[in-house]
Amino acid sequence: MTDALFWYGCNMTRHAEIIRLGTRMLQAVGVGAQPVGGPAACCGSPKESTPRIAEGMANRTMQRFNQSGAAQVITWCPTCHMNLDDFMGATQGKQADSAHLAQVLWDRRQELAPLLTQQVGARVVIDLHMGNGTGVNQAVPGLLRLIPGLEVMDHPYRAPSYMCFGLASIPGALEDARANMLAAMEQTGADTLVTIFHSCHRELVGLERHAGIRVLNWVHLLAESLGWPYQDEYKAWRNSTDPEAAIGAERIAAAGEDAVRRLVLPELRRP
Amino acid sequence: MVAPRYADWAALRAAESARILAACSACGACFEACPMIAYVPDAQGAAASDTVRGVLSLLQGGQGDAAARGWVAACTRSAVCIPACPEAVDPMLMLRLAKFNAQESGVIPPRDARDAMARVKAFARLGFTEAEQKDWL
Ligand code: SF4
Repeated sequence: MTDALFWYGCNMTRHAEIIRLGTRMLQAVGVGAQPVGGPAACCGSPKESTPRIAEGMANRTMQRFNQSGAAQVITWCPTCHMNLDDFMGATQGKQADSAHLAQVLWDRRQELAPLLTQQVGARVVIDLHMGNGTGVNQAVPGLLRLIPGLEVMDHPYRAPSYMCFGLASIPGALEDARANMLAAMEQTGADTLVTIFHSCHRELVGLERHAGIRVLNWVHLLAESLGWPYQDEYKAWRNSTDPEAAIGAERIAAAGEDAVRRLVLPELRRP
Repeated sequence: MVAPRYADWAALRAAESARILAACSACGACFEACPMIAYVPDAQGAAASDTVRGVLSLLQGGQGDAAARGWVAACTRSAVCIPACPEAVDPMLMLRLAKFNAQESGVIPPRDARDAMARVKAFARLGFTEAEQKDWL
């Protein structure tokens, strides 16, 4: 039996290092969690415009959770988190407790704080959004304030939606959110923009190229303070002038050249 | 085990839609609170109450109006409408259920998610080790 499942969702496959670091952090505070995600553990949201298909995917995932015997489902993706609470839980029943990774770590901050031994000199603004049923808007600033040397700059701006994903398809919305966050950084003297969710990281890492700032996820900052090395490959690929060369021919071949050319490289080459 | 409240999504949708239709007074407070209205060209200058009535039409399988269709399509679940509602309707759920209906009936175009899972798998093959692909997917 698994103590807990770390349900990282679907689109987090872009950020393997965050899954590794998150799992290791849970272990460090006494929570053994098995990562689970990808298409076979989907909450159904990508297919929500065809609710019948979304329901089938969500049911299969909920049954998998209920049969796992895990006492807790630790979430990452806020869409999964909300679906677990509303449509999935309301129609399938819920065996396990659930909480977001940031909340679980915050609840165990007495175990975590002594491990944060490395100074991280950064003045950060966090990409907070209005909608959140996950507790991250309290837990992430709290966790970052445990890091020695790091300053969390308060600013009242909250972007619409609950993460950047929804904004990307609405003309003007993501551009406005980016401009408002950069303005918040300038007003507070921040040098680092901290993303909370994967879709925000995906949409904001490109600012490093143009805006002369650093963009890190909150998990990366905790890892730096823990003294744990990591590589943000997605950011390196996305900000490379030649993502194909940055990934390398061998890895592209191993992952399937056609799929990488059609599905991955166009995203990495976006301006 | 927390017991399920509904047999399936159809039962959830039917029950919640009926509750919302009975509770909503079309006061428009949710529309006024929504940060996405600025990004809905068809909702500029639209009356809040009329637009909510358009959403209630979509919720009942109707066509709504252009402002309502645009609003439903642009909802990104900011959730600020929920505390704004004086009738405890949960307008965010109201818009989501209206969107389900509108996309199923073709009143608004569905999101193109054809490649979503193939892309998820391609990134996994690039970033996960073989052992991680076996254990995590
Ligand atoms: S959902 Fe609530 S806030 Fe919106 S129109 Fe109906 S009663 Fe008013």
